[in-house]
Amino acid sequence: MFKWLSKYFATPSQLRKAGILGMNRRNFKFIAKYNKRNLYPLVDDKVQTKELAQKFGITTPRLIGTIEYQHEAKNLKDMVKDGESFVIKPAHGSGGKGVLVIKSHDENTFTTPSGRVLSYKEVYQHISNTLSGLYSLGGQYDTAVIEEMVNFSHIFDNYSYQGIPDVRIIIYRGYPVMAMTRLATAASGGRANLHQGAVGVGLDIKSGKTLKAVMRNQPITHHPDTNADLTQIEVPFWTEHLLIAAKAYEMTGLGYLGADIVLDADKGPMMLELNARPGLAVQIANGIGLSKVLKKVDKYYPKRLSPEERVAYVLTH
Amino acid sequence: MLERLKSFVTIRFVLTLCLIASCLFAGYKIYYKVKYWGFSFAPHERTDIWTIEADVNFTANGEPIKISLAKPQSSNEYKILDEDIVAPGYKTKIDKDRVILSTAAREGEQNVYYRILLFDNQDAKGKTAAPAPQAPEKPIYSEQEKAIAEEILSLASKQSGDLPQQLIRLFNQVPPEPTVTAFLPMKKTTKNVAENISKLLAYKGIASRMARGIKLEEEKTAFSPDLMLEAYLNGRWKLYDLTTGKIGLPKDFIIIQRGGTSLLDIAGGEDSSIKFSVLKSVTNTFNLAGKRAKLSNEQQAYDHSIYNLPVNQQSAIKWLMVFPLAILVIAVVRNFVGLKTMGTFTPMLIAMALVKTGLGAGLLCFVIIMGLGLLIRALFSKLNLLLVPRISAVVVCVILIIQYMTEISYRFDSDIGTAASFFPIIIMAWVIERASITWEEEGAFNACREIIYSLIAALATYVIICNETIRYIMFAFNELNIVLLFLIMMLGTYTGYRLTELKRFRPLVK
Ligand SMILES: Nc1ncnc2c1ncn2[C@@H]1O[C@H](COP(=O)(O)OP(=O)(O)O)[C@@H](O)[C@H]1O
Ligand SMILES: [Mg+2]
Repeated sequence: MFKWLSKYFATPSQLRKAGILGMNRRNFKFIAKYNKRNLYPLVDDKVQTKELAQKFGITTPRLIGTIEYQHEAKNLKDMVKDGESFVIKPAHGSGGKGVLVIKSHDENTFTTPSGRVLSYKEVYQHISNTLSGLYSLGGQYDTAVIEEMVNFSHIFDNYSYQGIPDVRIIIYRGYPVMAMTRLATAASGGRANLHQGAVGVGLDIKSGKTLKAVMRNQPITHHPDTNADLTQIEVPFWTEHLLIAAKAYEMTGLGYLGADIVLDADKGPMMLELNARPGLAVQIANGIGLSKVLKKVDKYYPKRLSPEERVAYVLTH
Repeated sequence: MLERLKSFVTIRFVLTLCLIASCLFAGYKIYYKVKYWGFSFAPHERTDIWTIEADVNFTANGEPIKISLAKPQSSNEYKILDEDIVAPGYKTKIDKDRVILSTAAREGEQNVYYRILLFDNQDAKGKTAAPAPQAPEKPIYSEQEKAIAEEILSLASKQSGDLPQQLIRLFNQVPPEPTVTAFLPMKKTTKNVAENISKLLAYKGIASRMARGIKLEEEKTAFSPDLMLEAYLNGRWKLYDLTTGKIGLPKDFIIIQRGGTSLLDIAGGEDSSIKFSVLKSVTNTFNLAGKRAKLSNEQQAYDHSIYNLPVNQQSAIKWLMVFPLAILVIAVVRNFVGLKTMGTFTPMLIAMALVKTGLGAGLLCFVIIMGLGLLIRALFSKLNLLLVPRISAVVVCVILIIQYMTEISYRFDSDIGTAASFFPIIIMAWVIERASITWEEEGAFNACREIIYSLIAALATYVIICNETIRYIMFAFNELNIVLLFLIMMLGTYTGYRLTELKRFRPLVK
C-alpha cells in the first residue's frame, strides 16, 4: 500500500528536498511579492508590450498597425504593403486563439502558410470578431494587432509536429533562470501544452542545449512523430535569447516573468510575448526544481547589474 | 529581503493571533449560549415540559378564606416556565415558595387549581447545600421508650449504610422486628415511619426534616405527593427514600415542600384535600431559549440576537450561516488539494441546487443539462457567434431544456424534471460555456476532468450544507463563522504543496 502510494506520489519533504516550486508558493512568495498588479497590463496587452520592447531595444515582430474600431477594418488593405506577409491577433489574446497568419496576399485573396485561401470578406470577419472580443480574455472588446510575420528559422523544422516552437525563459529578478521549448505532437493535437501531451525539452540555461526531454512526464529521446533526436537540440544565438529575457525585467519591472522567444531566420531571436504568471511545467521539462535556483539568485547573485552583466554572470556561474 | 521576510511573518503572525482570539471569543459565546440560553449541539434536541396541577378542594365555613399552598421553586434541576392559578374571585399572590389565595367569606364546596410548568431536567446530585440547622431538640422519651429506642438503634447498626439508611431499612424489614412493631403506632404509614425515624435521629443528635415531592411521570392523576426524609449529615442535607433508603433525589423528582411548613394551610375551610396531577409534554429546546435567557437575566442580549427575528428571516439567515463553511471547503479543495474547478464558487452553487433537488435526481439532472448544453454549444461554435449573443443563446437553450425536462418528467411521473428547475440557469449556462471552451482549447479529456473536479467539490460542499446538524450548529453558534474567516485567510498564506502536486512532480524525485 505504502509502496504503491510512493510510486505515484512524492512526499512534501521529498519535493522540498528536490527544490520543487509549488503553485501556492509561487503565487504567494513570488508573484504576489515581485509582480505588482498595476504592471500586468504591460504584458497582457500585446501593443503595450511591443511599444515598450522597442524602447528597450528588444526585437519583436514589427508592428504594422492596430485596428480598434469596426469601421477601420477596411483599412487593412492600406496598412499592409503588397506581397508582405503578416499576422492578425488580438491584443489581449492567450493560448494562440485568434492568431491568423497570412503568408501572402493579392488584390482579392489571402493565403495562410498551410495554403488555405481566404477572401477579403473572411479576413474582415476575422478582424471584426477579434474586435468584439471573440478570442479575448473575458470576452471584452479588444484591439486587433497587425504585425509582421516571423520568418521562422528552419532549425526547428524537424522537431515539431506542427507549428513552430518558441523558447520559454523564466526570469527571476532580472536573471534568466530556467528555459525550455515545447514541441507540439500529434497526441497534443498540434498544441504546445505539456499537459495535453506536447514534448517539453529542458534547455541548459548556460548553453541552450538539451538537458532532458519529457512527454507525459516520461523521459524520451526522440520526437514521437518526426523521430528527430531531441537530445541534440542546441538553440542558436543563445546569448541573444538570454539578453532579450534579461532586458524584459527592466522593461516591465516584473520580478517573476516568463518570456516567449522565437527565432527569425533573418533577424535572429525575437520576443513574441511576456507572461506575468508563467507555469511550473518548466520544472518537469528540466527535471530541476525552481526553488533551488531562485534561492540561489536571492542569496548569491549580485543586484543592480545591467542586463548584459546579468547575462554574463549567468553564463559564467 | 529581511524586511520582506518580516512583513510576511507579521501577516501570518497577526492572522494566527486573530484566529486564536476568534476561537476564544467563539468559545466564550458558545459557553454563554449553552449556559444562559440553553442552546444544545443537536438540532432537534427536545426538552420535557412538566405540567403539575394541584387541585385543592375544601368546604368553606363562612369565614374569610386564606389558602397557602407550597409550590416548587426554581432550582438547579428545574426552571419554571410558567405558572397560573384558576381560582375565580380569589386574590392571588405568588411567593417564592408558596401560593397565597384569599377571598371574603364564602360557603359551600370550593375548588381552586394551581398549575405550574417546569422544564430542564438534569440529573441532580440530591445534595442540597443549605445553612447548617440548629442541633435538634432531643425527644422526650419515657424510660421504657428509651430502652426500646436504644435497642432499635443497636438493631439498626446491623443494617448497611449510614444511620438514616440503617433505620429506614430496619423499619421496612419484612417480616418486621417485634421491637420495631412495638415502637410504631398500630397503623404503620410512611408518615409515622418518617416521624419516628426523625425522632430517633434527633435522639442521636442528627437534624432531619420531611420533604414532599412529586415523581414526574408521563401521566399521573389524583395522587398525593411522596414523602421523603432529609437528614443533615457531614455538613449537607441528604435526601432519603423512605422505603428503600436510597440517598439522593430520584430521577424526575421535584420537591415541592420542605421542613416544618405544611403542604397546604387553609383558614376558613374544612375537609380540605389536595390532589396532584402531572402531564408531560415535549418541546424543541431551541424554542425555550428566550425563556431561559429571561430567567438568567440575559433577556436583552437575546432580544438583540438573530434568534429573536421572525421565523422567515431566521430561516434565511440559517441558510446563509452555513456558507462560510462551504467556502472554506472550496478554498481547501482548490488551494490545499489543488483540484482545478470551474470558477471559484460554481461548485458551491451546484451544491446549493443539489440540496434543493436531492442528490440522485439533482446529479442526473445536472448531467443531462450539461450533456445537451454541450452538444448545443458545439453546434453554436460552428457559427462563430460573438461572446455575448453566444452565451445568451446557450442560456435560452438551457431554459428550453429545463422546460422540456419538467414537462416530460411530469408525464412520466418522475421528479427529475422538477429538480431541473432548481438549477440556477445562469450558472448552468456559464458552466456549459466554460466547459466547451476548455473542450476546444484543451480537449475533451481536460474538459471532462474539470467538470468532474467541479462535481467533486460540489459534492464535498453538498455533504456539508445538507447536514442538518452542521447547519444547525453554524446557525446556533454563528460566531464560528469568524473563526472560519480567519481560517480561510490563513489558508491564503499557505505556501506548502498542493496534494495534486505531490503526484504532478513525482517524476522529479528519484
Ligand atoms: N508574428 C508572428 N509570426 C508568425 N507566427 C506568429 C506570430 N505571432 C504569433 N504567431 C504564432 O501564434 C502563436 C501564438 O502567438 P502569441 O503571440 O504567443 O499569442 P498568445 O498570447 O495567444 O499565445 C505563436 O506561438 C506563433 O506560433
Ligand atoms: Mg503564446
